Formats: sequence, C-alpha cells, structure tokens
Amino acid sequence: MPDAMPRQTAAGFSGLAAGYALLSPAMLIIVAMLVAPMLALVTLSFWTQNGFELDTSFTLANYWALIEPADEPTMWMGIPFPFKNPVYAILMLKSLVMSLAVTAAVILIAYPMAYFLAFRVTRYKALWIIIITIPFWTSYLLRVFSWKIMLGFNGVINSGLMSLGIISEPLSFLLYNPPAVVITLTHAWVTFAVLPIYVSLEKIDRSLLEAATDLGDSKWQRFRRVTLPLSLPGTISAALLVFIPTVGDYVTPTLVGGPGGTMIGNSIQSLFLKQDNSPRGAALSIVMMAIVALLSLLFMWAVGYRKIRARSA
Amino acid sequence: MQRIKFIDRMSTGKLTRREMLKSATAFGVGLTVLPRLTAAAEVLTCLEWAGYDVPDYFGSYVGKHGGPPNFSIFAGEEDALAKVRAGFAADVMHPCNYSVNRFVTAGLTVPIDTAKLSNWKDIFPALQTADGVMSGSDVVMAPADWGNSSIAYRPDLIGDAFKDGETWAIFYDEKYKDKVALLDDYLVIQIGAMVNGMPYDQAYKLSGADLEAAKAMAAKAVQINRMLWTDATEIQQGLASGEIIAAYSWNDTIKNLSAQGIPIAYAKPKEGYFTWFCGLTLLNSGKADPALAYDFIDAWLSPETGKVLIEGSGYGHANMKSFEVAQADAIVAMGIKDPVEHMKSAILFKTMPNEVVNEQNKVWEELKALKQ
Repeated sequence: MPDAMPRQTAAGFSGLAAGYALLSPAMLIIVAMLVAPMLALVTLSFWTQNGFELDTSFTLANYWALIEPADEPTMWMGIPFPFKNPVYAILMLKSLVMSLAVTAAVILIAYPMAYFLAFRVTRYKALWIIIITIPFWTSYLLRVFSWKIMLGFNGVINSGLMSLGIISEPLSFLLYNPPAVVITLTHAWVTFAVLPIYVSLEKIDRSLLEAATDLGDSKWQRFRRVTLPLSLPGTISAALLVFIPTVGDYVTPTLVGGPGGTMIGNSIQSLFLKQDNSPRGAALSIVMMAIVALLSLLFMWAVGYRKIRARSA
Repeated sequence: MQRIKFIDRMSTGKLTRREMLKSATAFGVGLTVLPRLTAAAEVLTCLEWAGYDVPDYFGSYVGKHGGPPNFSIFAGEEDALAKVRAGFAADVMHPCNYSVNRFVTAGLTVPIDTAKLSNWKDIFPALQTADGVMSGSDVVMAPADWGNSSIAYRPDLIGDAFKDGETWAIFYDEKYKDKVALLDDYLVIQIGAMVNGMPYDQAYKLSGADLEAAKAMAAKAVQINRMLWTDATEIQQGLASGEIIAAYSWNDTIKNLSAQGIPIAYAKPKEGYFTWFCGLTLLNSGKADPALAYDFIDAWLSPETGKVLIEGSGYGHANMKSFEVAQADAIVAMGIKDPVEHMKSAILFKTMPNEVVNEQNKVWEELKALKQ
C-alpha cells in the first residue's frame, strides 16, 4: 500500500485544482464585482469631502458623525435619540423595524404556499412552481409601481370600496407612508421565500409524519413537533434572504413611501447623489452592513441554527 | 463543441499549463480589444430633464444625423452633477441659470463657441449676456427655454379663501393637509421663509442660524404636503384626480391639464412667483465629436423648437423668431412674449453659493427623514 499513497494524493490534488478551476469564473466575478467595490467603499469612508474635492487623509470623522452625542436628545416617536445628527440612527431603527415587519409578513404568507406545494400538489408540480415564479417575469420596478396604482387616490382599492358604497371619499392613508412600503416589499419578496421553504419541506421524510400519527400525535402536534422543526433551515434562510436586502432598499420607499416612508437606503442615496458627501454615505453603508450582519448572526444564534443543521444533515 | 471539450478537459485536470495560459491570454486580449471596437463611432450623450427627450425639441439634429442622441434623464441638477462627477461621460447637459455655476465650479464645462451656432444671432440680446449664460468672458450655457414656477390649483375645489388672496402659505397651512404638493427641493425652506416675510434675496442664501430658524416652516410643509414631487406627471395626475388641489408647478402642468379639459389656474401669489431660464452646456467628459454637440445645441435654439415649446408646453423660448412662427393664441395664452419683461415681473431664481447649496440640501434631506 505505501506506493498507493502518493498517487492518491496526486489525484486528490488535481481534484482540488479542478474544483478551484471550476470555481474560478464565479470567484473572479465575486472579486471584481463585490470585493473590489467593498474595498473601495471602506477606503472612501475614511476620507472626507471638501467641496468638489476628496480629502484623502485618513480620518474617522465620518463614523464619528453618525454617533456624535448631543446635549439635547431629539425625540422621535417618543424615543430619545441623543445624537447631533439623529437622522441616521432614526432611519436605521425605522428601516430595521420595517424590514422585520416585511420579513414576518413574507414568512407568514410564503409558508402556507410552500406547504401546499410540498404536501398537497401531486401532479404538475413543475407547472405550479413556474406559476409561482411568474411575478419574476415582470420588472421589480413595475411591480412596485403597480402598487402605486392599487393603493392610489383613485386606485383599485379606493374605487372598489367607493363603488361598493363602503366609503364616500377616497382613503388617503393607503399610500405615501411606511405601511405602503411594507405591503409593497412583502409582495415583491414573497416568491423569494417560497422556494427555499418548499425545498426544505419537500425533503422531509414522509415516514416520520406517519410515525408521528401512529404514535398518537394530532395534526397540529405533528406539524409543530415534526414538520416545523424540520423545515426551519429553509425558513430561516428565507427570512434572511428577505430581511438583508430589504433593509437597504430605496426604490420602493421612493415610489410609495413619501417622506414618511423614507428608509436608510434613501439617506445613503441622498448622501451620494444630492448632499455631495460620498465618504459619509460610504461610512453609513458600512455601518448598515455591519448592523445587518450582526443582527443576522444574532438571529441564527437565537434559533439555534447550528443544531438544526446538524439534526437535518 | 470546442468550448465544451475545453471545460471537460479543464475539470478533469488534463489541460496543460500552456493550453490554459493560451486560452486565458486569448480571453484577456479579447477583453481589451472589445471596447476599442465600439469606440469607433461615439454617439452623443445628453443629460436631460424628463420630457425634454422628445425628438420635436431637436428636429434638425434628427434630420441631419438620422436619429436622436442617447439620453440620461435626471430629476434635478444635483443628481446630474453627482453622476457626471462620479465618471458618467456626457457631452451636453441642460442646466438652468441658477445651477450652471455648480458645473462651472466643479470644472466640468467647456466654453461654447457661439460662432458655431447658426441660431445664436436670433437669441434675445438680454439673454445672450445674462447672469448664468456668461462665466467671466466665456459663454457656458446657450439659453434655450424659459418659464415660470408658481402654484397650479383647481379653482373648482380650492375655495374662495385662497382665490381671494393667492399665497404660498397654502403649503404650510394645516387646513390644507394632504391636499397640496410641493417640489422635493430645498426651495421648500426658502419659500417657507418668504411666507414669513423674508424677501427672496435673503431667503435663497439662508444658512447657519437663520437656516435653523427657517427649519420649522419647512418641517411643517413636510407634514402637510401629500407628497413632494420629483416628476411633473405625479402632480398632473394628482391635480387631475383631485387628490391634490394645489401644487408647485411649471407652465407645462397648466398647459397639459387645460388641454384635457380639467379646470386649472396658475396663481400669482402675493409673495411673488418664480421664473427661470435654462439652456445647454457643453461638458468636458463627452466622448462624441463636438460637432455633434453643436448640432444638438443649435437644434434646441431653432425657431422650430421654440414653436413646439410655446405651443406644446407653454414655455418661452430664447429665440426671438420663435414668437413669429408660433400660433398667436398660444403666445397670448402665455401672457407675455419678452423674456426681459417677463423676468422683471417675477422673481428670477438666483445662483446659490456652493456651501449654501450643500447646507440647505443637508437640512432638507434631514427634515424629510424626520417626518413621523
């Protein structure tokens, strides 16, 4: 056997090399499109804007500006924000709350859809999946815009309610506020959540369910003790898939949010495009990323993601 | 098939280092050659306001070159400025008298050689030398269109109180909550100060403690306004449906809505109404042949464009001859045909110092974000 070893290593090595070679197109794209811009963003955040020029001497001033304390706290929704520039903290909090609301709504809507698909649909499953992905065939922007028509002053909901005689004049609280943003984002992201949940439900060994029933579990108990825990990996990844990108969304708030529905992404956009302060915009983006990453880790730790994975593996 | 074989061999590790390098080189060389091929004939790129990208506004350019240039649409000059400064290569930009200086200061403009513009001789002489057109001894903006900014309102819905005393205060008045819409711009702060009695000459350069004091009014406007618009179609739809009954607007809103038979009036508020003129500026980031840019600017200055502008949107035009070829009733509807007279009767937007633009922008963005 000793002479078999080197050959095996050689095969293992070339296998590894082949693996990296196969990965390399994706790696190249990630380096060029993600790592390089990130490094640029980090560098930019340590510079300062001086009129039309960039001052490239190293400073933490941009980060300090985000948390610089003030003597008099600014009150917003009854919460004191003891900062000199309270806008960033307020928008951060607001974005997180709105995103959490979106995530919760998305999971609540997507889970039953995925459940139906995994357990009730037996024929034409592929067709069902295609039907669920149909919203992807329309541009994201158009889907957001169509909510403007739905919720608008003379939109579908208002004219429907008026023709039924339920209201006498259009409701104006439907559009241009945070709930409008939450509704629109929920609709836009539901499809993204159905698929991962569906996959983890589909993977569940049906004999486990039979065993639970045989051992006397009611339908609800069976769901709570077998189906739900086993589908958690997909559900958690779906939640993260929705939560992470929606925190920084700025298109939806721009179109349906009005000033009251502004989120942190709008603030970053305005720092880059309107306020002529890209270094602070960069710092704010990085802080946002760090907070979202931290919250995601906390969330995974809280639900015991590692244990769940070990169990389902 | 060759390609599939290549991937196959690569994944099984049968590819020699030499073959690998050869393919990689071919790919790299291909990459560097590609952009050069497309660079051969650069198309003119224009940064333009939404709605001004219609070929009617530059008919002679389309006639000569067979099609319109590339357009990139902006909602406000600051967007366009940020875009160009971030490296967007545009040849021509459409700023206004109060904003062109931002581009000049940022070092993005090229002086215009008026000898290359066949229509320059017919431009109103007062506009040829107006503030904003000239920077030092250079012409940096070829004046093209001019018009108003005032309050468009629905006379059938607004009530007599406003009609008896037209005022900008309507946008800051609790009584009209969710019924009015201002422009999404720091101008809201300045108009607020004017409602409180400050003349525009001071309000446009509000900064420091005075700006802090003016914030309260603007914050009120953010609460009261149904929306803060960035695109004129938003308020045109809003006014048409009755969702809003008064809005900050340009002449085209009046023209478009009355053409649809919707009752609409243009106010002359007691604090005054605004006027502006815009034009075309050459940018130094352009990649196209400058001759194309001159053809485009010249097309904008032509009387034919002026006719379209006057008849179609109710704006004025910088070319004197436009008023000879446009329909008489359209000119009458505009009310006035001489830009100099026109600008005397209204408040001409002024160029704000750069620091003040940034300061007011920052305050404005924060006020919007703080809406509860």
